[in-house]
Amino acid sequence: MRTIKPQPWSSQLFDLTLMQLTNWRWSWRSMLITGTLAPLASLMALGTFSRHLGIETLSYILAGNLVMALMFENQGKVCSNFAFMQAMGMLNYFATLPLRRHLLILATVLSFLMLSLPSLAITLLLGSLFLQVPLHLHPLLLVVIPLAALPMAGIGALIGLSARSAEEAGSISLLVTFAAVAIGPVVIPPTRLPVWMNQLGNLSPATYAASALRQTLLGPVTERIILDFCVLIAFTALTFWLVGRKMEWRVG
Amino acid sequence: MLVYDIEHLTKTYPGQAQPVNCEISLQIQAGEIFGMLGDNGAGKSTLVKQMANLVQSSSGKILLFDQLVGKDPLLVPRHVGYMPQDSLALNNLTLGEALYFTAHLRGLSRAAARQERDRLLETWQIQDLRHKTSRQLSGGQKRLLQLAVAMAGSPPVLILDEPTNDLDPVRRRQVWEILRRENHELGTTIIFITHDALEAEKIIQRVGILHAGKLVALGKPVDLKSGIDQMLRLELFFSPEEPPLLPDGLTPHVLDTGRWLVYIERLRAGEVLNSIDLDRVEDFRLYSATLEDLYLYYAHN
Repeated sequence: MRTIKPQPWSSQLFDLTLMQLTNWRWSWRSMLITGTLAPLASLMALGTFSRHLGIETLSYILAGNLVMALMFENQGKVCSNFAFMQAMGMLNYFATLPLRRHLLILATVLSFLMLSLPSLAITLLLGSLFLQVPLHLHPLLLVVIPLAALPMAGIGALIGLSARSAEEAGSISLLVTFAAVAIGPVVIPPTRLPVWMNQLGNLSPATYAASALRQTLLGPVTERIILDFCVLIAFTALTFWLVGRKMEWRVG
Repeated sequence: MLVYDIEHLTKTYPGQAQPVNCEISLQIQAGEIFGMLGDNGAGKSTLVKQMANLVQSSSGKILLFDQLVGKDPLLVPRHVGYMPQDSLALNNLTLGEALYFTAHLRGLSRAAARQERDRLLETWQIQDLRHKTSRQLSGGQKRLLQLAVAMAGSPPVLILDEPTNDLDPVRRRQVWEILRRENHELGTTIIFITHDALEAEKIIQRVGILHAGKLVALGKPVDLKSGIDQMLRLELFFSPEEPPLLPDGLTPHVLDTGRWLVYIERLRAGEVLNSIDLDRVEDFRLYSATLEDLYLYYAHN
């Protein structure tokens, strides 16, 4: 009797990542606009008004806008992709292939992360030049970038799978983006925020991602980064677990 | 060898009072070509989705190669190629990429997956579409892509939900021919749903007819036909201004302008044909009960 032998998980992940990377065919335009131009415009607007407030405020503006470019760009795209796959029967296609569903989630997140890297680099370079904030890149940045993107991408997948339509998914994703940027010291320094907002910000992964990015981009790297890493890893694990539960191949 | 063993299968979707399909029991043997016919909403698509482990059953059980479907999530993907009824959009993959990745994920080496891609492009005569994404394809072309994707990696079982939808007559004939070849050369078990009963009759070995969620007939077409009637069908095509004269006792059923269907007893066939003035008949066709008749009989009686 003929049977199909599943590929090893590394081959599955490689194939799925390549398959999901083909999303550049539709996403490059919006990556350019929302992933590069929007953070740059925000950065320039805030930077123009805040130049006199000193380097600390400017560093928050730079890191906060990078968080926007990295986290929310990934969250929005992953959300759209899962909503699209759900609506168009693409998940059924994957469900009938001999592969692990967690690898599909991971591959989707990784591919959109890779697709967002060029806009991240442009925002970083042009932003630091405009704000005249000197960069002190730390090797840990290579770990911080994926760690900053993963929790929000997981949230995006969760929204995409839970929403009743792609339109609904887009709206919820936007709402989450605004909420996460608004609460906590992401774009604005904690000294300029009320206490309750700083406390609320402790619940948002964006706060920890912004902190880790500031330390590894502008220095210095302090012990605080351990807390940032732990929280981001925990958020990632939680959202991936929830997505895995939500993405049941079978209809109930 | 038994491929599928289905016992007392029922599915009721959450929030619905009536089951979509109810108490369905059937067996499908290895190497068989099994067709499912039925009205829209008869529960056919839900049944094949249950068989493909895409829909959880409310009660009953499905065994695939003696193993319970649903227990091991990789059981169905290791044996079955499934083609859904809806036009599937394979994200932004080109047709060539979709075939290559599907074949590779179904266990072929990278070189063998490339060969499989080329074989399927040639088999389905879609080489010129290789670099197009599924969004750029017409409905019929998407159907061919789905068929090729289901067959990629040569799974031992194919489940196809309306494989000839959206296809022109030439392509429909090609589909049946390729499926027959796949079954003959590789011994692939083929299970499909169709409304194209007349064409499908050429390859169907056994048929199941669903009506209102219940399996109302199951067996070889020839056996089921003998159970419904022994009448022959005489279809007459003529100029509407000059209808042919029929012998006494025969009543024509008007199928269309200038087209009648007359039921005649087998023993009277020669006599009836001799008595019809063929000068008034442009064309005629004499045949026994078709799969379509079978479907109409069981679905409406």
